[in-house]
Amino acid sequence: MNLLLRISSILSVFGHYPSFILAYIIETLMVIIFATVVVAGMVYLFRKYMARVQMRVGPNRVGKAGILQVMADGLKLIQKESIMPEGRDDLAYKVAPVLIFFGLIMGFIFIPYGPLAWFGQLTVSHSDVSLIIIFALIAIMPIGEILSGISSNNKYAVLGALRGVAKDISFEVPMMLSILAVVMMASVKVSNPLDINGVVVAQSIPFAILEPLGFFVFLISMAARASYSPFDMGESDSELVTGNTTEYTGLRFGLFYLGLFGTIFLGSMLISTIYLGGYYGPYTNYAGFIWLLIKTVVLVVISLTIWLSMPRVRIDKFVTFGWKYLLPISFINLIITGILIFGGIA
Amino acid sequence: MENKGLKEKYIELNMGPQHPSTHGVLRLKLLLDGETVKNVEPVIGYLHRNAEKICELDFYCDALIYFDRMDYVGAMNMEVGYLEAAEKLLNIEPPERVVWIRTVMAELNRLASHLVWAGAFGLDLGMLTPFFYVFEQREKILDLFTEICGSRQETNYMSIGGVYQDFNDKIIYKIKEFTKQFPKKLDEVYNLLAKNDIFISRTKNVGILEPEVALDYGVTGPMLRASGVPYDVRKAEPYLAYDRVNFDIPISKGKDVLARFVVRFEEMRQSVKIINQAIDKIPDGPYFNPKARKSLMLRLRGEGDVYARTESPKGEFGVYLVGDGSVKPYRVHVRSPSFKNLSILPYLSKDVLIADMVAISGSIDLVFGEVDR
Amino acid sequence: MIEIKEVKEPKRIPVIGSIMGMFTVFRHLFQKPVTVQYPEVKEELADRFRFRVYLSTDDCVGCTLCEQVCPNLSITMMNLDKENQRNKRKIYPSVNFGTCTVCRNCEEICPTDAIYLKEVFETARTKNNFMYSPTDLEKGEEEVKR
Repeated sequence: MNLLLRISSILSVFGHYPSFILAYIIETLMVIIFATVVVAGMVYLFRKYMARVQMRVGPNRVGKAGILQVMADGLKLIQKESIMPEGRDDLAYKVAPVLIFFGLIMGFIFIPYGPLAWFGQLTVSHSDVSLIIIFALIAIMPIGEILSGISSNNKYAVLGALRGVAKDISFEVPMMLSILAVVMMASVKVSNPLDINGVVVAQSIPFAILEPLGFFVFLISMAARASYSPFDMGESDSELVTGNTTEYTGLRFGLFYLGLFGTIFLGSMLISTIYLGGYYGPYTNYAGFIWLLIKTVVLVVISLTIWLSMPRVRIDKFVTFGWKYLLPISFINLIITGILIFGGIA
Repeated sequence: MENKGLKEKYIELNMGPQHPSTHGVLRLKLLLDGETVKNVEPVIGYLHRNAEKICELDFYCDALIYFDRMDYVGAMNMEVGYLEAAEKLLNIEPPERVVWIRTVMAELNRLASHLVWAGAFGLDLGMLTPFFYVFEQREKILDLFTEICGSRQETNYMSIGGVYQDFNDKIIYKIKEFTKQFPKKLDEVYNLLAKNDIFISRTKNVGILEPEVALDYGVTGPMLRASGVPYDVRKAEPYLAYDRVNFDIPISKGKDVLARFVVRFEEMRQSVKIINQAIDKIPDGPYFNPKARKSLMLRLRGEGDVYARTESPKGEFGVYLVGDGSVKPYRVHVRSPSFKNLSILPYLSKDVLIADMVAISGSIDLVFGEVDR
Repeated sequence: MIEIKEVKEPKRIPVIGSIMGMFTVFRHLFQKPVTVQYPEVKEELADRFRFRVYLSTDDCVGCTLCEQVCPNLSITMMNLDKENQRNKRKIYPSVNFGTCTVCRNCEEICPTDAIYLKEVFETARTKNNFMYSPTDLEKGEEEVKR
């Protein structure tokens, strides 16, 4: 039993096909709402966590304990005038934030959320190649970053976008290689290793234990993807103001902001599904979703701690690190995985 | 878009005066080749307040508030610098108690100034959190200042031949409380910054300043000591009570940004040492010289010229005073350390990356009230 | 003798140092915030904290010393019709708080202690003028705001 069937059975008065169509629409809406709520929660968590770690109080004026602060900020951003810089590349300038947000929301659709009590399986969309689709969708986001940088006719933004490109190409190859190792490992146990659900099912032992090197590479790649400190060279505020988002205001800036926090959450979710066993845990048939959330939140808190306690890496150092260390490490990881499979350990 | 393709090889980029990285209102004109900085031209003067000239228009005692506002994070050291000169010119000897009180206050403010620097340097490198930890400690120092002087930053605490109000037992107890807990917190921040691999990779071998070059440019203070030159006015030409307390000059052979960082932190530890010694040695006695008591404040006359130098947190702070026998100084000139230290920035940031340039300009410890005066 | 202490580079173990730093940051989560929520909670003021200038017109002798010593001309003398035997010229100081830097020189130099400062510091208002006439200086902040 999964969520789709539950919804359609409630709506079965409309007939078989209309109820399924309606159920799909409702489910999609639910995912979008989930993603938005999660991102808003992330922003609140980040602000509160940052404040407490820095011995401050954090937002506490709007609503109880400042819960509505995110909403108030969002409303403020919507109200604000969107300033259009002169000499911009109009289409690219307007499309860029939408692309980032689109990539983020689409990424949420293919995550296997696991079962939750009466609702059954919460996973929204199935595909035999969902692992590849997710990384393809995430790869849309850098395009938005680059477009925003080069279209806003600002030197800071261009420099930020160039840094973003240099950063992206240096970690994405090792990231995909570590995913390849995961697929190899999963293919031993399940018939659909390219399905992200298959990867989860294959983890009777979490892959983080079997492939610590790959886990390390993927962790760093996800941190770099979300581009928070230490990997925020693209928007390094003490050097390039805010990099590619320098010229953006109002709602468009808000979309970039959501993109940043959403990517942290999505990255943590991916790490926990691919390497930490996803929704597996005690009582996984009833509380799988809860397990996934717990793992994700722990990873998010770790990411935020890294964000708050690390200085920024210099861009050339990161490129060197990516090509000289991460790439060989991921190759070694691939070889070790091969040996493990050949030896029949996994 | 009219601009079809890039026609020039270099980009000219303005950093500041409204830019998150610049300290105060520094404006840097960068010539960039991609990420590499080809040339830096600091443009100063955005905070110019004509302090020297205003000092010449007022009585000797009034110049203090303008000195407070030169290096606004190390106001006590500025006051000490001015009073060293003014008291020499006006022939007013401060009592022994005042000398020790001033030593304590100057060192407390040196701590505050270095703490601000440490926090801002962390921000320059993209580290958010240490800023708040050092500011918590700085806030304690400023609370002490409120207790002692009545105001937080621009204290106007010292006056010619004395101080504004006396120390009492409560204040001495509070200072001791502060210095007791301070080294632990300092080590915490030090470990947070200096044991971080990324921090080391950002600072080590960046902005190497050879001692000969540093001397040529007139660089002083922790910048010079980090290049390995053991020059400190507190030792070379002792003023206040520095010849009667026991402390070391920290130097480093590293010559780079990291060396400046460790030298400043070691200097803070030495400052705590000085405070601990000086607070026990404060003798009893009057807290102002009767020759400069308050009703005579406007009648102090000086003749001749005098130059006094002191060690402010940024470097050697010199004050040149000329008196023409009237109640107002004829000429006030200030040798401000930040201004001299800033002149090294174009030399240090030739052919480095933007990120390194930001780290180097952060390591200079610029306070713009003092650069522009 | 000059004592020189050479400072070495920090001793550290790669990676472990960074993780310890992360742990230090995380540990602060359980510390009490040090900030004060200002309008609701007010921090205790230090004994010597001073801000607002007060004037006792009965004691003022109109000597203009405060006007002379004021470093940025915040104090100007003003005529005020008030019976005061000691103040023959009937001039009293008025203070412009827009430029006052609270240097307390006026308080120090006043021969009769007519000018004095108090710890009242909440002088913000919507009025665009911070000129306090001698009668204003005598009143409390609450009265002047009205």
